[in-house]
Amino acid sequence: MATGGEVVLMKVWLKIWRANTADGDRVLREYEVDAPEWATLLDVLDIVKDQHDGTLSYRKSCRMMICGSCGMRMDGAAVLACKTRMYDIAESGHVPVISAMGNLPIIKDLVVDMEPFWAKFRAVDPYLQPGYLEPNNGKEYLISQERMNVIHKEALCINCGCCVSECNAMESSPEFLGPQALAKAMRFAGDPRDGAKVDRLELLNGQHGIWECTRCYFCNERCPKGVDPRDAIAKLGAESIKEGIDRDMGAKHAKWFVASAKTTGWLRETELVPKTQGIVEAIKQTRFALDLAKHGKVPLPFPPHVAKGVRESRRLHDLLFEQDKRGYAGIVQGEPALAKLAHGYREGERDPYGPGSFPRPYVAEDR
Amino acid sequence: MKQVAYYKGCLASLSAKELDSSTQALAPRVGLDLIELETVTCCGAGDIQEAEPDYYLHLNARILAYAAATGSDTLLTVCNVCTLNLRQANFQLIGDSELRRRVNQNLLAVGVPAYERDVDVRHLLWELAGEEGYPRLVEAAHKGLRGLKVAPFYGCQILRPSRILGFEDPDQPSSLERIIEACGGEAIDYPAKLKCCGFPIIQAREETALGELVQPIEQAIEAGADAMVTPCPLCHLSLDAWQSKLKAMTGRDFGMPILHLSQLVGVAAGLKESELKFKRHVVPVGPAVERLEID
Repeated sequence: MATGGEVVLMKVWLKIWRANTADGDRVLREYEVDAPEWATLLDVLDIVKDQHDGTLSYRKSCRMMICGSCGMRMDGAAVLACKTRMYDIAESGHVPVISAMGNLPIIKDLVVDMEPFWAKFRAVDPYLQPGYLEPNNGKEYLISQERMNVIHKEALCINCGCCVSECNAMESSPEFLGPQALAKAMRFAGDPRDGAKVDRLELLNGQHGIWECTRCYFCNERCPKGVDPRDAIAKLGAESIKEGIDRDMGAKHAKWFVASAKTTGWLRETELVPKTQGIVEAIKQTRFALDLAKHGKVPLPFPPHVAKGVRESRRLHDLLFEQDKRGYAGIVQGEPALAKLAHGYREGERDPYGPGSFPRPYVAEDR
Repeated sequence: MKQVAYYKGCLASLSAKELDSSTQALAPRVGLDLIELETVTCCGAGDIQEAEPDYYLHLNARILAYAAATGSDTLLTVCNVCTLNLRQANFQLIGDSELRRRVNQNLLAVGVPAYERDVDVRHLLWELAGEEGYPRLVEAAHKGLRGLKVAPFYGCQILRPSRILGFEDPDQPSSLERIIEACGGEAIDYPAKLKCCGFPIIQAREETALGELVQPIEQAIEAGADAMVTPCPLCHLSLDAWQSKLKAMTGRDFGMPILHLSQLVGVAAGLKESELKFKRHVVPVGPAVERLEID
């Protein structure tokens, strides 16, 4: 790659799914353009539009990863076009397929209708609701860095929709609030200045709230800003349970794992269904359960399968209860660890974050 | 032989005993010497992290500490969810000395050895598809799968988040395909092979979960697969045991046999039915593997 001031051009091939919902037309078109070596996907689209086909539609604004306008899919994976450099791809000879984001209706080409996204965004009241009257010192509100760290990642969200595009639960249940709205909700529920935490958590514990997340981790994988929405959802779950908001089957399910770990050590599988769904619902599942039982899939709860040394995990639970790091305060996202991404890869092994590898997930210390 | 600390996890201990028996029988044939961990608990399956995150971290640190105590460098898992939970805790502990100090103090206070020497958490899939394991796998899979068409289903938590898992490209993985082919089978490609099976919410939000589960099964059938294989016992449970519920939803009886990774390789390596325990599956495996002549 050229390093001086001169512009060196490269050939970039790409295919774009052109879609026009007005006439139902959908066709995959191939383009070949000359672009500077430093070009991003957005730069390449600009060249296509300027020099090859003025009818191409896509959104853009800041060109520097902060406005969140240019979310789209490259080879089926949601990316910010302005963050995606094309050099390695063009060099490898690969012809990427560009398409609109998923889980949102397409208006034209790469432009999706963001209204369902904004409706969910609005549903979580994305603004502070101060619950205080006077600052303690009569002057200003002082908040420790430690308390703001809890929402540091969530505050990075630029509302681009890359996480929503890939959300597996939302594909199956379009009403699911989804990773962006939930991460945004955590940004306010975790803010020490907010006075509506419990009301927020109540809302988020609804049918299409936090417990509908299926933990596919596509949101964490795709987020171009390192928000890690799935971790935000876990924080909301932990805080709900800490606040005693645990009527949802998802919360009961999660709590049963804790109960199992400190009593027998292993998950008490057979009791999980009645503990999650309640006795009445569980009885409705009897026929299904009997069918599974024929194949040994419903282990008898007695005698219980007890882990050796389970007393240790019980004592650990008691000890931690005293240290009171329950709720979102207990979630560690491994920021110090992220700074040492080398962990897990030995000398000589392929470095999955190295050159020529797959697109690198966002890290604070990124190049 | 490579010595590894073997963490079974809950499912292989209970409802998926066939995963444990086939793994134990297969291990020596692919050069793995398993030291089974006994003084360990559930990893929390993501649920304890969502209920009491600090407890999750300590339970996993305890598992890592006992794994390190065996003297092995590797903690072997056979479940995606265990893999992510343990690797995540390990990632945090290794990268943050202050956190590790606090966790170790707590472990010591309840009589658990501190987690001092690092271990690497690796799934059986990675051992089999890795540089060391693959040649041994090729040799062990002498009986072959005779062209059996197998649809690989990865499951989420062995691919994503890649910065914690990172064995292969999370969007274009190839380990399962390479294993299927080393075993003499034909790997079938289909779009949903990297998606979620819905298991984590199959009890709390069954409808949403089944809407996810139907995709891979339907697509694998359309692509002509004789069977599916997965490295995760939770995916296995939903794909196999919950398949009957898809019948009520779609009116179609899919009858798609689902194999654990250790069973697929086990068949090719000539394991016996008493080790493979196909009888423990809800969807009969017979039609797909009968022609492979299992002893």
